[in-house]
Amino acid sequence: MNPLYLIFGPIILSALTALMGEKRGGTVRTIALLLFTGMLFYSLELLSLLPATGYLDLGSYLPVAQFNFELSLKVDHLSVIMLILTSLLLILVTLSSWTMKQATAYFSLLILFAGPISGVFMSTDLLWFFIFWELTLVPMYFLVGVWGAEGRIYAAVKFFLYTHVASMLILLAFFLIYKETGTFDITLVKESMLASPVLIWWLLFVGFAVKMPIFPFHTWLPDAHVQAPAPISVLLAGVLLKMGAYAMIRMVVLMMPEQSENFAWVILVLGLVTLFYAGFMALYETHLKKMVAYSSISHMGLVTVAIATLSYSGLSAALFEMIGHALIISPLFLIAGFLHHKTGSWQMGDMGGLMQKAPYLSALFVLAGLAALGLPGTMGFIGELTILIASIKTYGFWLIVVALASMIGAGYIIWTFRRVIYGEMSETVKKSDFGMNRVEFAALVIFALLIIGFGLYPSALFDVINSAFASLAPQGGL
Amino acid sequence: MLGSFTLLFLAALVSLALHRTKWLKPVALAAVLGALVLTYLGSTIALNGFENSEAVRLFTMILEIVLLALLLHEEEDQTITQTLFIAAASVALLQSHTLLTFIISFEAVSIISFVLVSHIKTPAQAEGAVKMFIAGAIATGILLLGAALYLVGGGKLDAPLALETNMLSTAGLFVMLLGLFYKLTIVPMHGWAADTYALVRHSHAAILTGLAKTVVAVATFRLFAPFLADHLTMSVPMMATLAVITMTLGNFLALFQKRIARILAYSSIAHAGYMLLAFAAVKSGYAYTGLLYMAIAYIFMQSAVFLLLDILRKKYDIQTLEEIKGLAKQNKALAFFFTVQIFSLAGIPLLAGFLGKAVVFYAGVDAGLWLVVLIALLNSALSVGYYAWIVKHLYFDESEKALEAGQNRLQMISQSILLAGTLFFGIFASVVFAAGNHF
Repeated sequence: MNPLYLIFGPIILSALTALMGEKRGGTVRTIALLLFTGMLFYSLELLSLLPATGYLDLGSYLPVAQFNFELSLKVDHLSVIMLILTSLLLILVTLSSWTMKQATAYFSLLILFAGPISGVFMSTDLLWFFIFWELTLVPMYFLVGVWGAEGRIYAAVKFFLYTHVASMLILLAFFLIYKETGTFDITLVKESMLASPVLIWWLLFVGFAVKMPIFPFHTWLPDAHVQAPAPISVLLAGVLLKMGAYAMIRMVVLMMPEQSENFAWVILVLGLVTLFYAGFMALYETHLKKMVAYSSISHMGLVTVAIATLSYSGLSAALFEMIGHALIISPLFLIAGFLHHKTGSWQMGDMGGLMQKAPYLSALFVLAGLAALGLPGTMGFIGELTILIASIKTYGFWLIVVALASMIGAGYIIWTFRRVIYGEMSETVKKSDFGMNRVEFAALVIFALLIIGFGLYPSALFDVINSAFASLAPQGGL
Repeated sequence: MLGSFTLLFLAALVSLALHRTKWLKPVALAAVLGALVLTYLGSTIALNGFENSEAVRLFTMILEIVLLALLLHEEEDQTITQTLFIAAASVALLQSHTLLTFIISFEAVSIISFVLVSHIKTPAQAEGAVKMFIAGAIATGILLLGAALYLVGGGKLDAPLALETNMLSTAGLFVMLLGLFYKLTIVPMHGWAADTYALVRHSHAAILTGLAKTVVAVATFRLFAPFLADHLTMSVPMMATLAVITMTLGNFLALFQKRIARILAYSSIAHAGYMLLAFAAVKSGYAYTGLLYMAIAYIFMQSAVFLLLDILRKKYDIQTLEEIKGLAKQNKALAFFFTVQIFSLAGIPLLAGFLGKAVVFYAGVDAGLWLVVLIALLNSALSVGYYAWIVKHLYFDESEKALEAGQNRLQMISQSILLAGTLFFGIFASVVFAAGNHF
């Protein structure tokens, strides 16, 4: 299959589905589901075609010879893993927004999102990467702005502006790279000598840090998360933040290794600050979804710490934690959104005793929560453990402090259980009806199965992940 | 030169006789189509003082495509005729190669623009027209003063600009540029622009800001770029400063406007600042392509948004952000066209506006002006604030009054043409790059 279909196909398809009219919402939903399933199968096929190390070339398109600018598509293990994760999440997002209002418009925007996000992970041309990177903003802007909660407009505009300003820094960095090397190809930049690597490194780092997000550039995320509808929060946490981490690994660490070595302490310090700051913010929150949002930022801090090790084991751990974070935080967001939908309140104080009224839902919430705090047997444990080991190996024993963050995590998660799941049944919970659509419930169950599955058999994932950084592997294995 | 210019000029003359008949619009459209074909075939007999090049040919073709859209949209007989006159003068201006032909064609474009806006129905339109006329008169004065200095310094009017000139003629050329910057709405020569663009009829504004301004920008760059490149120590700081001031002021003023037309008028000033960046980056080989790309993107986007405003004002009497609320639910097609062009202005990728800006900005980086480019990029990010705000009103808010649905078919075709242009040049860049090397 021509990979261009995967990128431009959804964009055209979304325009067609948008014209179908509000009555055909169900059809558009089915089309979206089929498309995302197709995407998943295509990415799995790519995985099987990949060489052991390096890139699989998918061809170059739309050449502009005078500018050395062409849509060159190459994938390696890192990008294929991201593609698989994205298409899986898109399927689950579709399932969990089964009963969304204004379905035609909603699902055609989701379809629109699928195109550029594939482009982000497949393109190795810096300028095309940037084009797709920017283009993902448009559907997200509408998804947050139209379907969000009361403060959605503020959140949508803030999200758009923040990430757009960051993108401008990235674009300038790409221009400087092109000026100094004469190429936009990621795979060629690494070998070439850059004249102003420090400036470029900082522009790229800050640009991607906003997307990840790393303290102090994170302030757009709690707003966006809280105001977005629950499935879109999943998309934000599971895909958009991962774009930031992916770009941080690919463009900052792998493309500019020397500068990253010089400034590794910056990444490490900011990662630690993010980890603890967001952790404490989550501890302090009484707003259920904000708590989840801050815990999400805290986990991205953990990923940042892992990236800061710049080592084979650290980056593998970071990638594992990225996937784990996407799978763990998503059910938390979905359940938080569902509880708000049913009880009309975000405050944990208004809830309580949920276990008696909705046992299955509570069980899933507890499972995801325990995974978030790193209970052995879940993905969260493997992620945190490998990151801890990798960072101690690189920076010495004092990085055991990372484990403290896990304790803070235990604090806010268990306290949340106490306030929401257990205890006396509150008036609000008594009044509400917690009936859930079966499809939406199925999505939650799939998340739960994946969390446990990869928690018990992490090697299934690690085999692929390790190939992603095989070129960094020290001689003689780990 | 002789080909499309003659055809357009003849059509303009003939159209004078066709007023109040049903033939006017078909004849005008046929003439523009014919001119488009002639330009495509490249059948040009160059007259003395005029010269054709690949970039000019491409831009003339795009100008004629946009003209098609303008004529399809327009319903008033007078405006159609005047559009044809402006088109003929614009073709001449684009191809002019010596100072004499440049000044004559430039004045022709200006004077027909004055005639265009002088079709006054309300006091507001009168204010807009008068402001433009006064600014235009001053600009002409400065332009001629500059030309006189250039002549005194030993320059020749009927030859291409001489590169190695003495102080007096160099000063003369810079003075001429300042006069031209009135037309390009460069700060501090921008005072008239926002009022005029917002107050005169929106379809006239589409011609003034979309068509005339872009043509003047391309022609000015074509004529003056070698001169600017020859005097880098003077031209780079001057152009860079003016560019920064223009884009920053334009964007900040646009942020605080309530009327959509004024927002877009100030955004047009900001875009003039981005174009001026190409003037500053003239020593880079990409500046030529950059300016051409920017002009192509700009002529599509700006004509489209002002024509859309014209539809909005005529059909629904909508002028402010408050009134545009919830339009997406009432009239999907209009809201869609508007949104795409607004996003293009904001520089969202896969639309012409993005690549236009990107190439100009790259030219800046290439010329070593990365700090100026950083300011431009942050400006561009700032501008997203008000563009996204317009889209927010269109899609996120609820409408307060019911609007009748239904479209004028010709106007929708006209919008589709402009949309196709914005999309095409947002994806297929090689056409422009190929032409940009032969400016």
